[in-house]
Amino acid sequence: MLPFPKFDYAAPTTLREAVSLLCTPGARILAGGTDLLPSLKHRLFEPSLLVSIRRLTELREWEMLPDGGLALGAGLTLQQLSGLPALALYPGLQEACRTVATPTLQGTATIGGNILLESRCLYYNQPVGWRDAIGGCLKCDGSVCHVAPKGKGCYAAHSADTVPTLWLLGAQVELVGPLGVRLVPISALYSGDGLRPMLLQPGEILTRLLLPPPGPPTVHRKLRTRAAIDYGLLLVAASRSQSGYRAVVSAVGPAPIEVRGESPEDLAEAAFRAVQPLGTHAPAPTWRKKVLRVEVRRAAESLKEG
Amino acid sequence: MSSESILSLRVNGQPFRRLVPAERSLLDFLREDLGLTGSKHGCDVGDCGACTVLVEGQPRLACITLAVEMEGASITTIEGIGGPEGPHPVQKHFDQQVASQCGYCTPGIVLVLVALLRDDPQPSESRIREVLGSNICRCTGYTKILAAARAAVGAA
Repeated sequence: MLPFPKFDYAAPTTLREAVSLLCTPGARILAGGTDLLPSLKHRLFEPSLLVSIRRLTELREWEMLPDGGLALGAGLTLQQLSGLPALALYPGLQEACRTVATPTLQGTATIGGNILLESRCLYYNQPVGWRDAIGGCLKCDGSVCHVAPKGKGCYAAHSADTVPTLWLLGAQVELVGPLGVRLVPISALYSGDGLRPMLLQPGEILTRLLLPPPGPPTVHRKLRTRAAIDYGLLLVAASRSQSGYRAVVSAVGPAPIEVRGESPEDLAEAAFRAVQPLGTHAPAPTWRKKVLRVEVRRAAESLKEG
Repeated sequence: MSSESILSLRVNGQPFRRLVPAERSLLDFLREDLGLTGSKHGCDVGDCGACTVLVEGQPRLACITLAVEMEGASITTIEGIGGPEGPHPVQKHFDQQVASQCGYCTPGIVLVLVALLRDDPQPSESRIREVLGSNICRCTGYTKILAAARAAVGAA
């Protein structure tokens, strides 16, 4: 049995109160908890306070925007989101929601939590004893990155299933913090530093996800060992417009990577050249690099057929 | 902000009121505080599904749920589904198809199937398999679990 560390708990009823509680040093937000709570059991971090979004009912609302886009509360579960009739107009996003973990976890995990999923690594997401045996790593309790010992930082992989397709859709997030409200494009949310992968200010809460009106469809592909539970070994989203093909690739570094091409083959070559998978996952990086080319080409080809 | 709270909730239709520390999992609350040991500790980090309970009718992993988050909630554990005297149809089919070996995963699997068949009385084979992806069984190889699930379709 793996116990939780000790922490305080608060379930504020207003966003204002939640923001103020989140400014407490060591505070963390608790949404679905499907990634946060296992991480606490593994002692990846030990927050002094968990601020629950349970009573912030506005985070579970959604509405159609005047321009035909959607505003989605960050506290909607992935299951609630993929079940919205309006989401059929965003097929890549719907598919991405349905490939996260398992149906039970999709009923608990939130879209906000997925967008802000902590970066992951073979050497980081492990029990305490496992990590102790290798002296920890740069991201937790250690000073060496086992993926790139001679590198300059932490390369833990961005692993949020919904993000590559949200990036292609041009989605934005609404962040509410002590200094007010700001809108940030998904494509500007990630720092590229595995130690602190999200460009959030202290106390900020992701309140809404804003989707533009439905445009060219996106497709989502997830490579993984098993068809359930596992995080992606590669995440690929692709779309096609008059100006050509675009793909966003993730699970290959601390931030997703966007590439463009004129044909599926061209796009696949662009991704192959731009992306260097590392040892953040169990399979060999050289294998993942080869498969990346195939995954990107297949994603783009499926758009061609449609 | 506090390190413990008074928690009021309903479990299997019965109201309970208990003082719980913030870091108590729903699984430990059910097993240790209420003595309902049908929900199991498996992986304890949200992978295996052995701790599955229904919260407002929806499957949820009790090992990665804080008890304090369940304030006001209505929870159903395997004990509330049926027992030897009055088994639920899903349980009856598990028995008839010999779909349990060690039985450790069975409560969680029965609960996800009960929820599935309530929402979708005629699920497709692929939907049944998708939903069972939430739960790991290390004995049966799933063949008999799938047989029990198929037999329960229409009977639940």
